[in-house]
Amino acid sequence: MKRSKHKVVIALSGGVDSSVAAALLKKQGFSVVGVFMRFWSEKQNRCCNLAAEKRARTVCKKLEVPFYALSLEKEFKEKVVDPFLDAIEKGTTPNPCVICNKEIKFKLLLDKLSVFDADYLATGHYAKIEGGKIFRGKEKAKDQSYFLWKIKKEWKNKILFPLGDLKKEEVRLVAKKQNLPTALTSESQEICFVGNDMYNFLSRHLSSFPGKVVDSKGVVIGTHDGLFHYTIGQRKKIGLPGGPYYVLEKDKEKNNLVVTRNEKDLFRKEVVLRDMNFLKDVSFPLKIRAKIRYRGELKEATLKKEKLIFLSPQRAITPGQSAVFYSGRELVGGGTIK
Amino acid sequence: MKNIYFDYAATTPIDENVFKEMSPYLQEKFGNPSSLHFFGQEAVFALDKAREKVATFLGANEREVIFTSSATEANNIALLGLLQGKENPHVITSSIEHKSVLEPLNASKAEITHLPAYKTGIIKVEDILREIKEETTLVSIMYANSEIGTLQPIKEIGEAVKKINEKRKNKIFFHTDAVQAVNYLPCRVDDLGVDMLTISGHKIYGPKGVGALYIREGTKISSIFHGALQERGIRPGTENIAAIVGLGRAIEELKKNNKKRTKELRDKIINTVLSEIPQTKLNGSRENRLANNVNITFKGVEGESVLMALDQEGVAVSTGSACASHSLSPSYALLAIGLSHKDAHGSLRITLGRLTTEKEVDYLLEKLPPIIKKLRKISGK
Repeated sequence: MKRSKHKVVIALSGGVDSSVAAALLKKQGFSVVGVFMRFWSEKQNRCCNLAAEKRARTVCKKLEVPFYALSLEKEFKEKVVDPFLDAIEKGTTPNPCVICNKEIKFKLLLDKLSVFDADYLATGHYAKIEGGKIFRGKEKAKDQSYFLWKIKKEWKNKILFPLGDLKKEEVRLVAKKQNLPTALTSESQEICFVGNDMYNFLSRHLSSFPGKVVDSKGVVIGTHDGLFHYTIGQRKKIGLPGGPYYVLEKDKEKNNLVVTRNEKDLFRKEVVLRDMNFLKDVSFPLKIRAKIRYRGELKEATLKKEKLIFLSPQRAITPGQSAVFYSGRELVGGGTIK
Repeated sequence: MKNIYFDYAATTPIDENVFKEMSPYLQEKFGNPSSLHFFGQEAVFALDKAREKVATFLGANEREVIFTSSATEANNIALLGLLQGKENPHVITSSIEHKSVLEPLNASKAEITHLPAYKTGIIKVEDILREIKEETTLVSIMYANSEIGTLQPIKEIGEAVKKINEKRKNKIFFHTDAVQAVNYLPCRVDDLGVDMLTISGHKIYGPKGVGALYIREGTKISSIFHGALQERGIRPGTENIAAIVGLGRAIEELKKNNKKRTKELRDKIINTVLSEIPQTKLNGSRENRLANNVNITFKGVEGESVLMALDQEGVAVSTGSACASHSLSPSYALLAIGLSHKDAHGSLRITLGRLTTEKEVDYLLEKLPPIIKKLRKISGK
């Protein structure tokens, strides 16, 4: 089949970023197909999803591009939500968005490209892709390349990130100028299927086992209402007098929450990783910059296979979170903290 | 060629004459049939006329026809209205009924027997006879299935139930959802031996938002809605006159359905697809199926992907019933006739209609094989 211009499938979330990405692609002359993915959510949040789907549909109508909504609730529940709950139950702090990108968003849509005879898959991520390399987005505070470390290397030549060179305010401006119905949508910060109340979400889906709070010497100094409600480094909501206390460790075996008053105890140089993935060929030892949480900062480190050694100690290295590596601005890969 | 429609089982466009007849009732003849004045009388007159037309088509008395807002509402009224107040009723239905039959029954307190539809997608009269017991109050079996197009032996069931009723005190009532059948099959209620029958407007080139329910004289239906006395109080609420007029006219226009030609086009699709695309299977009986229904499993592909790929070529088909497309599980009708989850997900429904041309069929048959080939290649099967 002969086509004069390239065709691209854009994953729409109903938010401003993916909408603007779609608009930009259209403007650049791509033939665009909009796809909204219906993810699993609890009953009480379904209306938000319907509203998001409606916005995505309206954007496509406005841009005069075809729109499809795919029901992926089951796949999402199995591949993202259930493993998320399992990981939480094991006492770790997972990044479900990383898994979603790998198992659902990119994987399933890339599988569907041929259905539409499309050449590329685009998303509204703040990240840049150029010459087969993924880079951090232009705006540091918005950069979302952190969530992309697990995607497959070979996917890179099929992916477009139209927002790579834009700042959030520029994106909002485009949305406003083009009068996109998503121009005024608020920023989504939370995990999409959890919403803004993690505590109650977890309480609904996991049974909590209250236990003891101990200090680093094992002296009992209080009680907790279930280990999975806490994360390493946490200071708030520990509820002990004479603080501040920080969560140092979760002793799953004894169901003890280990806390410390000395924040320095939280600092470590070495991180052990599992399930590593690289987006380019590498050899060890590898000098990189890494961050160990989405909102964290890039720090100098050396990677010796699954051992990540920072130049200076890092606060609250949290099992389950992603350690993500960069060379300059380029995304190199990542791993899950053991 | 642009935007070809092969989803007539989901809905149909309004026939030109139907549209013309409806239009005045949206504006100048807008009266409420409950009003005594001229405007109201104009509306009652139209309502009566439409009822006459439906009754004539069904070979029924006008008193036996009520208009509803949809076939779903008609099914709810028929089933729940009949069961209301009955003690421990038992209902026999099939596993491939439309949701608007299955769900009201689930919501009722009745004990329900779901008959198997076998590989053919056709239930057996002897299964009904075997399941009937003292408490059996109702048998509800659809005339033609919306997804696989199979025809149920309504007349035989009607006769069998009638025979049994002659020998028992508590009558067993027989309801059929004839929504998909009206276009192509005889619907005279006495010939079929049904006590209740459901019709939809938008499946027969009439408007959406209107249905009709035939209720045989002597069948006691309690009101499940409460309000004024429209439609004998069974369906209170101001009548949707324009839509009802449309339904009446749509019934008159049924003669436009060219069953023979539709069947020929249907068979052309079935024969070509089965012979030209390997690993395909027709779902449901080949002989006893609607003149306009094709339902085929393409092994190793997702029906949804085929649908979207065809849509990109301007061809609209379905993966199941439109009502089921919001649910995650594959068509329960396909599962009920023995398909695996995988095969059910790989199925496509192609339904033809009055406006379908041979050229459109040829276009579909030109586009479909390469799409299946391509998608199979991608999924590595």
